[in-house]
Amino acid sequence: MIRVEGLTKVFRRPRTFSGPFGALRTLVTRQHVEKTAVDDVSFEIHEGEVIGYLGPNGAGKSTTIKILTGILTPTSGTVEVNGLVPWRDRSVNARNVGVVFGQRSQLWWDLPLIESLRLVGALYDVPAPRFERSLKKLRDLLGLDEFLDTPVRQLSLGQRMRGDLAAAVLYEPPLLYLDEPTVGLDVVAKEAVREFIVETNGAGRTTVILTTHDLADVEALCKRIILIDHGKVLFDGAIDALVNEPRRLVVTLESEPEEVRGVPRDAEGRYVFEIHDDLPGMIASIAAEHTIRDLSVEEPDLESVIKGIYTR
Amino acid sequence: MAEVFRSLRLYVLLQRASARGALQYRLNTVIGILSGAIWQGTGFAFIWVVMHTFPSLAGWGLAEIAFLYGLRLTAHALAMIPLMSVNDIQWVVRNGEFDRFLLRPLNPLVQLMGNRMGIAQFGDLLVGVTLLAVAGQNAQISWNAWLIAFCFVAIIGGALIEAAFFLALCSLALRMIDTFALRVFVDDVFSKFGSYPMKIFGGVTEWLLTFVLPVAFVAYIPASVVLGKLDTPLALAAPLLGVVLVALAYLVWRRQLDHYQSVGH
Amino acid sequence: MTRIGFRLALAYRSNIIITCVTLVAQVFLLRMIWTSVYGSRPSAAGLTLDALLAYLTLANLQAFATHTIVAHTIHDRIRTGTVFFDLARPVGYLRQMAGFQIGNTGGGLLLLAPVIPVVLLVGSITVPVNGLGYLVTLALGYVIAVQLALLISLIGFWTMETGAISLFYRLVSQFFAGTMVPLTFFPGALGALAEILPFKYMGYVPAAIYVGHISDVSGPVLVEVGWIVGLGGLLVLTWSRARRRVVIQGG
Repeated sequence: MIRVEGLTKVFRRPRTFSGPFGALRTLVTRQHVEKTAVDDVSFEIHEGEVIGYLGPNGAGKSTTIKILTGILTPTSGTVEVNGLVPWRDRSVNARNVGVVFGQRSQLWWDLPLIESLRLVGALYDVPAPRFERSLKKLRDLLGLDEFLDTPVRQLSLGQRMRGDLAAAVLYEPPLLYLDEPTVGLDVVAKEAVREFIVETNGAGRTTVILTTHDLADVEALCKRIILIDHGKVLFDGAIDALVNEPRRLVVTLESEPEEVRGVPRDAEGRYVFEIHDDLPGMIASIAAEHTIRDLSVEEPDLESVIKGIYTR
Repeated sequence: MAEVFRSLRLYVLLQRASARGALQYRLNTVIGILSGAIWQGTGFAFIWVVMHTFPSLAGWGLAEIAFLYGLRLTAHALAMIPLMSVNDIQWVVRNGEFDRFLLRPLNPLVQLMGNRMGIAQFGDLLVGVTLLAVAGQNAQISWNAWLIAFCFVAIIGGALIEAAFFLALCSLALRMIDTFALRVFVDDVFSKFGSYPMKIFGGVTEWLLTFVLPVAFVAYIPASVVLGKLDTPLALAAPLLGVVLVALAYLVWRRQLDHYQSVGH
Repeated sequence: MTRIGFRLALAYRSNIIITCVTLVAQVFLLRMIWTSVYGSRPSAAGLTLDALLAYLTLANLQAFATHTIVAHTIHDRIRTGTVFFDLARPVGYLRQMAGFQIGNTGGGLLLLAPVIPVVLLVGSITVPVNGLGYLVTLALGYVIAVQLALLISLIGFWTMETGAISLFYRLVSQFFAGTMVPLTFFPGALGALAEILPFKYMGYVPAAIYVGHISDVSGPVLVEVGWIVGLGGLLVLTWSRARRRVVIQGG
């Protein structure tokens, strides 16, 4: 479905000048500021997958998405989406993808939601019967009926997001990009969005690429994640493989020796042991040599694993 | 060709939607049109007062100047009514709205144009057409079908010239180059100097306004033809300049679009 | 507030630079038009071409200097609610706003200063026939301009939309100030109307005194003082009403 190879994007901006003739100087300057946002990224996404595309702010997530959707032209590398080069066949590619930006609505602010949906239908040349069928389905799935005739500016954030999701899938694109679709939503609304994503993915009909800061979204929806930071891919694989690490025993001691049984003291004065089998035995043998001040057992969870990868 | 018709149909659809949105603020719409009309009205009042004392300006009478003024104003209004929302391009690029235009299967320029209609420019149109109608009867013009057709073509050609400069300057915003000040200046030159017989400027200025910033081609040359002051076959081709310039401006737009870098990566 | 107004003028210098460039273009255009219509006539309506061009140059510089933004600012502050901070200050509201405008004018003049030689070169200037009279009438005219602007902006306390009113006021006041045509040329009823309205003190009267077209200074000064007193009273009255309205609506 999507193949990305050696994708690199360097932003090259002319230095901007201020002052009376700033615009003119900016126009003719040969000085540039460069920044590599995406650095030699490669991955492949198969039909029907739900992928979590994760990374801290400024990691290069949005830039990748913008290249995949054809908004930006990469500096080098090849991208194929559904057999198309997105930035070259932008308008053909556009019909194959739905995009939701959590922070920015694509709906018409002053118009009732239904009119926005009709406009989107027209822009994507959805024939009337197919539009009605699609709308009917979305009305049930997203519970649009209660605010279909309300101007978008009066919708709550959760309602607006449901409207945006409807607009993105109205023309039944095989590929869906969701950029922080749950940002700022309450628990109930988040749950509704997740259910919608599961339903739309429909066991492999629609491929979904999800960027989010909410790892609960990822745990609920994605089998596979791609982690990116400083423009480079840090991890690409199944969540299970990531979280499938041993539990850990974390101990602090009255005396603070340099190391205990081969484990050095960390910056916070703790000793972290991997638990393999006999936990009680492990604790007993530590207690035999030292006075334990505090101890806890940590389950591996996605958040700490990911944090670990970023700081590695 | 089919794509052109599709774009046109969708443009009308988008514009109707934005009009429906804008009509919720009915009072603002009326005020917008009125202030456009008053703005242009006081502009012409100046000419009227001057020519009350001095009946001739470089050999042009009041009715003739009014015709020139009306021709330019109508062309200006026709250029800006569909293009007004392109004026917001800086803002549209900055808040990321332009990204959305690139995600839809319709020319982004058409989507940008469909965002909002120029309201105050309907006031310009009102004054412009009124001046044309009144002056067209009072000036000594022997109207015939050809001359009327030429007038229509000339207005479109003039509108295209203004539109071309406006579009080319706006498109630089795709590379985050702010040309707002420059646009205000160019618009000011078009509106101030385009409404008078070029002869009064003389020498270098007349040459600059004809061949560098072709203000003269918007209304002065076509008006001279209609009023029988200019009779060279070349002048009849003046409206063609608009077509050429707008095509060039669109190329500039396309080129800037290739360099679009979006914001907030 | 005076300082804020001054700094605001400097902060928006690109706006002011546009204004300066359009000012130069305007003066140039007027010079060309009037030179053309005068043709070989030595004088019209008692003005020689030289005097007229000097008049126009001055009147346009004055229009720039007496341009007020306080109505716009007040409207913005009412709409966003920041007006309550202004009201909370221990200095009277009108005084704050007048201070703001004066500071803004000061900043504008500072930016205008380097452009003045260009304007004078593009336009034309003569030695003043009555320099003192010019300065006095212009200063008083400026006070009238600020008073009128404040009066207009107080409308914002009743109607939320004042953008159109401000624009209308600006166009009408500039026209009747005689910025582009001296009032002498206004025909019949239009001329009579322009004579009655106070806008002429911002443009026509001082500039005409400068070029010697008006020789009597004491008359205009008396009328100006009369306007200032009258407008001042009206302002105080309007403000007390507006303030009551603010209190009632109660933020």
